[in-house]
Amino acid sequence: MDVSWFLVLSAFIFCIGAAGVMSRRNPLVVLLCLELMLNGGNLALVAFARMHGDGGGQIFALIVMVIAACEVAVGLGIIVAIFRRRLPVDVDELSDLRG
Amino acid sequence: MGTFHLSILVFLPLAAGLVGAFLPAQITRWLVTAATVVVLGIVVWMIADFDTGSGGLHYVTDDAWIAELGIRYSLGVDGLSLFLLFLTAVAWVFAAVWSAVRETERVRLYFFHLALAETAVLGAFTAQDLALFVIFFDLMLVPFYFLVGGWGEEETRVAATTKFVIYTLVGSLLMLAGAVALGVLSVGDGQEVSFSLATLTERTLEPGTQYWIFLLFAAAFLVKAPAFPLHGWVPDTYRASSIPVLILIGAVLSKVGVYGFLRVVVPILPDAAQHFQTLIIVFAVVSILYGSILAFTQTEARLVVAYSSIAQMGFIVLGIFALDPKGAQGAVMQMVTHGLVIIPLFFVVAALTARAGGSGSLERMGGIAFGAPLLATLFMVITFATLAMPGSPNFVGELLILFGIFESKLVFGLVASAGVALAAVYMIRVFQRSMHNRAPEGITQREAGRLEIGVIAPVTAVIVALGVYPQVLLERTEEATVSKVRAASQLADESGQAEAAPAAVPQQQVPQQQVPQQQVPVDPQQVPVDPQQAPQQVPQQEVPAP
Amino acid sequence: MTVTGYGWVVLAFPLAGMLVCALGYRKLPGHSAGWIGSLAILGSFVASILMLLELEHLPTEEREVVDSAFTYLQTAGMDVDLSILVDPLSVFMCLVVSGISFLIHVYSIGYMDGDEGFVRYFAYLNYFVFSMLLLVLAANFVILIVGWAFVGAASYLLISFWYRRTTATRAGIKAFVINVIGDVGLVIGTFLLFDATGELSYEGVFAAADNVFTTNDGQLVAACLMLLVGAFAKSGQLPLHTWLPDAMEGPTPVSSLIHAATMVTAGVYLIARMYPLFELAPLAADISAVIGTATLLFAATVALVVTDLKRVIAYSTISQIGYMILGVSVAAYGAGLFHLMTHAFFKALLFMGAGSVIGAMAGNQSLDRMGGFRKSMPFTFVTFTIGALALAGFPLMSGFFSKDEVLSYTLHRGGGFVVMAVVGYLAAAITAFYAFRMVFRVFFRAPVPEARELEAGHPHHGEPHNPATGEPEDKHVGFDGTEHHNAETSWPMKLGMAPLALGAVIAGYVAIPGVTDTLEHFLEPTFADSRFIDDKPTDAAEYTDLGIGGIMAFIGIGLAFVVFLRRRQLRLVIRERWTAIHTFLFHKWYFDEIYDAAVVRPMAAFGRFGKNVIETRFVQGTIVGGAVGLVRAGSNVARSVQSGYLRGYAALLVVGVSALGVYFLIRATGG
Repeated sequence: MDVSWFLVLSAFIFCIGAAGVMSRRNPLVVLLCLELMLNGGNLALVAFARMHGDGGGQIFALIVMVIAACEVAVGLGIIVAIFRRRLPVDVDELSDLRG
Repeated sequence: MGTFHLSILVFLPLAAGLVGAFLPAQITRWLVTAATVVVLGIVVWMIADFDTGSGGLHYVTDDAWIAELGIRYSLGVDGLSLFLLFLTAVAWVFAAVWSAVRETERVRLYFFHLALAETAVLGAFTAQDLALFVIFFDLMLVPFYFLVGGWGEEETRVAATTKFVIYTLVGSLLMLAGAVALGVLSVGDGQEVSFSLATLTERTLEPGTQYWIFLLFAAAFLVKAPAFPLHGWVPDTYRASSIPVLILIGAVLSKVGVYGFLRVVVPILPDAAQHFQTLIIVFAVVSILYGSILAFTQTEARLVVAYSSIAQMGFIVLGIFALDPKGAQGAVMQMVTHGLVIIPLFFVVAALTARAGGSGSLERMGGIAFGAPLLATLFMVITFATLAMPGSPNFVGELLILFGIFESKLVFGLVASAGVALAAVYMIRVFQRSMHNRAPEGITQREAGRLEIGVIAPVTAVIVALGVYPQVLLERTEEATVSKVRAASQLADESGQAEAAPAAVPQQQVPQQQVPQQQVPVDPQQVPVDPQQAPQQVPQQEVPAP
Repeated sequence: MTVTGYGWVVLAFPLAGMLVCALGYRKLPGHSAGWIGSLAILGSFVASILMLLELEHLPTEEREVVDSAFTYLQTAGMDVDLSILVDPLSVFMCLVVSGISFLIHVYSIGYMDGDEGFVRYFAYLNYFVFSMLLLVLAANFVILIVGWAFVGAASYLLISFWYRRTTATRAGIKAFVINVIGDVGLVIGTFLLFDATGELSYEGVFAAADNVFTTNDGQLVAACLMLLVGAFAKSGQLPLHTWLPDAMEGPTPVSSLIHAATMVTAGVYLIARMYPLFELAPLAADISAVIGTATLLFAATVALVVTDLKRVIAYSTISQIGYMILGVSVAAYGAGLFHLMTHAFFKALLFMGAGSVIGAMAGNQSLDRMGGFRKSMPFTFVTFTIGALALAGFPLMSGFFSKDEVLSYTLHRGGGFVVMAVVGYLAAAITAFYAFRMVFRVFFRAPVPEARELEAGHPHHGEPHNPATGEPEDKHVGFDGTEHHNAETSWPMKLGMAPLALGAVIAGYVAIPGVTDTLEHFLEPTFADSRFIDDKPTDAAEYTDLGIGGIMAFIGIGLAFVVFLRRRQLRLVIRERWTAIHTFLFHKWYFDEIYDAAVVRPMAAFGRFGKNVIETRFVQGTIVGGAVGLVRAGSNVARSVQSGYLRGYAALLVVGVSALGVYFLIRATGG
């Protein structure tokens, strides 16, 4: 199997994720798209690991998954807190961190 | 002559401050005060031990520190810094005593900052390495930021501190750039980067490079001085600070700037000093006149002193940039005596404010001499000293400065002399408005208390003593100070001769020939032992040439 | 003891007296401060006499002795010791200063009795005498300037002695500032001399002057003119005279000592001391003579119309010093100094007499309210009249010999100086007139209520008030107390006045032309190098000139007699016909107004401008505000990136990373 197919697929998934992050307004969906980006990256890692025969890529992918899980946990926690406060669950409205 | 590690002198106050931070407040205040007294004792011993007529550094510490950057940990004392150290020590002793006796909030933190400040200033005065000097110069700012901002007057302190810090920092930043440039650009073939002042003085730099480095340093020092128009931080800071902090700012901090001129700028950048001489003199003269005129329209007693300081520092800058041995000696004398006069002056202002119901405004004061004759007498002596009445050491300083500036730039000197007359106006006005005439409502008539006499009388006595015997200072500072301006002075003489020569040759012939001459070596470099002769030699050379 | 040893003693006594009075401020009982002060000055006087005797033992060529105590300042080519010079001129001045001071101290014990500031007064007075002696004994320019400034400071302290009086404090600061202007002039003059000769001591400068300067050399003339600025500020000559009449705010003995007999003569001393320089720069000497002449006429005219008794005498002082200045400027050093001495006697006496009268008037000083004190105050009357006669130059009184000797020498110089001498004689007639204006108005005609009370035996008492403005005061320190003394009842005052009266009569006899020559002869060693040493008017010429002077005196006194005693209406008639002139003179030729408009107001205006405009708008607004504004603007721009808009951040991230990636791609593949 040619590695390039996996890479194209990974880029595809990454770009869909990126487009989703930039264009969707619901924070849950943004998180989903972030997951997509991460997994796109994971795919590329695994593909290269296979190409070089180096297990390091796969291990790195596992680490990325762990981090993704943590980050989703925190992110979902924040979204639940926002929901509970009855603030608009819309990324454009939540701009309190402006300078 | 004994030997002694200067680091002890410099870091003793900081050590006391650090130790005191962990002790109960009651002990801390006296511990730090004791440290300042020990510092004063050491400095007095150094003065007594000092060889008059020696121009070199004493008590030298010279260790490699950051060798890769060419920075050495180098401390030393010579005639130039000797009495400035004395001034620092005296100012800190009395500021500490005043703060210790009176109620202060957050005692340990306050005294820690006080101690840190003293260390920084002592370090700045003894540093013989440019980078070390810059470090101490910038270090000075930190404790003063806290002292002004944390213990100043409630409403105005924040704005005042902000202005103070920003002004000084901008200047310091420029100075840092200048210092780095100086260290790096002065490297010749086969030489390494060095920031040691002695090394830098020996190395030469192209005049063009010297010019912009000079401007960078000048920015920092003129802000500290303060000179017009970089004095914007003064009114607010003087209004907001507490009295002991104000004394330290007015008496000592301002001197570090002008000391920097004499220690760093003029000896290392003589071409630039000569090139910008007229410009700086113009700033100095404008400061003198502006400060004096504004001083006598102020209604706050503190601000009178503030603007008066601007004027006095203008005189000092004028003395330095006269580029003449007399001017330089006068500048050093004036640095010390002005600082010495500021100390009791602000304590008197504090005493007046206390009697005027807490108001520092001259409009609310009057007739205080009626109930406080001793205070009035001390204030009178201080007033006369501040306005440089002949008989005071300030007069000796001003006389030397004026003689120095008359020699090279007579017209500027004449304009500056107006500042002398104006000084009389604003000082006597402050004295009269507060002490004489009828006492308005709200004045408590009370003779000077023990603390007040304790902080005012000793310094006044020192001033009077110096007035009777100013030579005690002049003989020790002469060699070191004169050597600093020698190079620039010769350049100034040469350029002055070049301007004057075409038109004035016949006129110069007559006086030069008539003054009894000794045949002396042509090379002016060979007369460091006898600086009096040096200025007279150069004109001699030029006249026969055309 | 050596001559200079005595010199140090002369200086030490008043310094010690001052320290004792100052330190014992609270503890000295009763009048002891007064006696301590007076005895200190007596010690000085005795030491001066011993100094004189010792000096006379020395051969004539050696009568200029210098002694240094220690090095005051020695750096960068300037070398100044704390040194004194004892020569005939300085001994003469010491004698005059200490002698007159002693008598005035004694007078003050009576005059200031009851004043809460008694001890402080004597401390200041001793300090003044010390300063004045330092000034005349100084052997170099720097110590001269120190003494000069000390004297100015003492004058300030004594003028504003009653410091709660606003009029007094204002007069004090005015005097001090003008004095400082004089100091600055001295400093500049000293520099010009140092620059040319490299010397700061009298010996050095005078010796080098001949070699270094040609006649009327620009730098020398400039130096001398600067020295004249100092001299004129101190001596109250035009145009720096405005402080002197205001200085009358001080207690009368102060006016007597400082503003008549001693301090104001410092300028005359200076010109006499600097004679080698002035003779080498005749232009400066001539300018000095012209100003002296102008002053003596100006002041005499003003003294004709002012109504405050002390101010008449003040203007008279300005005028008489004009004579002295004229004398030393035309190289008649002996004559000028002689007039200095006799003037010290009779002017101090006049002030003391005035003090006595003012005491009887309970502090009021206006001539308009005085009259007829002849019977109630005989002692004062006699002494005052003696003083007035001497001032007027009545034949055989001291003033007659001295003033007319000055004019005689002036005439002798010929040329333009004849005009000055004529002006001098004219002013002499005016002098006689106003002198007796005072005598006739105060002591003759019908007695005023205060005089009648005094005749009855109880001096007038008034509520404490400011004599100039009438403001009410109180009796405590800082104001003039309610106890007013006059010479009739106070024996210290009599003791002070009597010797002066005697002196005013007989002091002239030391220099009768052709008969006694004591003063000239005594001063000769100092002025031995003068070009004019042998250029004197003949005895016959002197007698003629003295005669003219005497005639002027008679004219003046006669006119005064007519106007003030015989035809009183004449006064009012004159005033009505020449109102403009009268107003002009009454406003002292508008000098104060001119200075106020030309100097004081512009300065104050500039100060206000500086405070309101430059400080706020330029410095705070532009420099501070500008810097702050720049920083704010910059940070506002930077802030706009932080929009808080998540999608925006995300977009930025994506775009940025893509751009970087594209860049590196291009670089890697070929670019």
